[in-house]
Amino acid sequence: MIPATICVVLVCIGILFFVGGAVGIIRFPDFYTRMHAAGKGDTMSVFLILMGLAAYQLADFSLANILVAGKILFITIFIMWASPTSTHALIKAGFEEGQKLWTPNGEKEDSGK
Amino acid sequence: MKSFALIAVIVTGWLLLSAVSDFPDWGDTESPANDYRLSQHYITETFPETSVPNMVTAVLADYRGYDTMFETVVIFVAGIAIMSILRRKPLDHLKDKGKETRTYKKDPDLIIDTTCRLMIPIIQLFALYVVAHGHHSPGGGFQGGVIFGASFILLALSRDLQAAQRWVPEKRVLNLAGVGILIYSGFGFACMLLGSNFLDYEILHKIMPATPIEARSHSMLGVEIGVAFTCTAIMFSIYSNLASNGDMKETL
Repeated sequence: MIPATICVVLVCIGILFFVGGAVGIIRFPDFYTRMHAAGKGDTMSVFLILMGLAAYQLADFSLANILVAGKILFITIFIMWASPTSTHALIKAGFEEGQKLWTPNGEKEDSGK
Repeated sequence: MKSFALIAVIVTGWLLLSAVSDFPDWGDTESPANDYRLSQHYITETFPETSVPNMVTAVLADYRGYDTMFETVVIFVAGIAIMSILRRKPLDHLKDKGKETRTYKKDPDLIIDTTCRLMIPIIQLFALYVVAHGHHSPGGGFQGGVIFGASFILLALSRDLQAAQRWVPEKRVLNLAGVGILIYSGFGFACMLLGSNFLDYEILHKIMPATPIEARSHSMLGVEIGVAFTCTAIMFSIYSNLASNGDMKETL
């Protein structure tokens, strides 16, 4: 029922987000922006790729396929919970440990701690 | 002494590498593992003999149940060994010397706390699903037990070790680990009491509402539950001993 084009488009956009996340982890200047890139990549791209896979499962409706798609949906919901929370926990730990903030004029400022 | 160890490592490595060339190729249909009629028997006869569609679990928990029982004992012994090496009384005398013990008694973070409170029941439910469905789909006692133990580890990470120990105190951990092995070997001894071989589940149909073939399936579920008990307890015990440096007071 669901055309394969939609699955391909979803997975491709997800891979694009992953590439953005990977480039961001390497290129961004300080801890917080790098974590931001990592969190975006892990959350959004995994969401899109898994949605694409779920749509692929629903190419023909049968009970087994719908069950598999439902399980993929559960994984998606779980990742949408867990990934932002772990990003938050890491950034909070970094903030309390006193990681420096990056500023545009090149010098690093104290994060207030 | 170091050169002696190096020689031992080199000799062992040479022996192992010299045996590599005798291995059959990847996917070789003529290799002993694929050619021997035992594997053919497992592939064709597992479902008629045990009514378990998952061949791996059938081999693991039924045909080679004796092996798996002692794998569970190995996990138990590993947990006991780590506990006996690391566990100690809290180091009160270090505080007197001015060597401050790190205290992280800060209030729990709202976001992390809420998310973990929502997630832990679901993780535990999924662990029970993995255990209960292990003989029909990938999964089983080891995997389910590890997931269940991980839920307690998540509780200890998001709050502190005391919060997790309210649910699984040290004494209960040891009891659970022992009970798991007791369940597994209990199934074996029940078979013996009914007049069959150790872990020969077929005879258990006399005390179960099942045919002899179904009795093997149900007994597999039983021993998987035993394995899950031990795995859960030992996972949490290893974590709490390693993370709290053995004094069970505070984690990292």
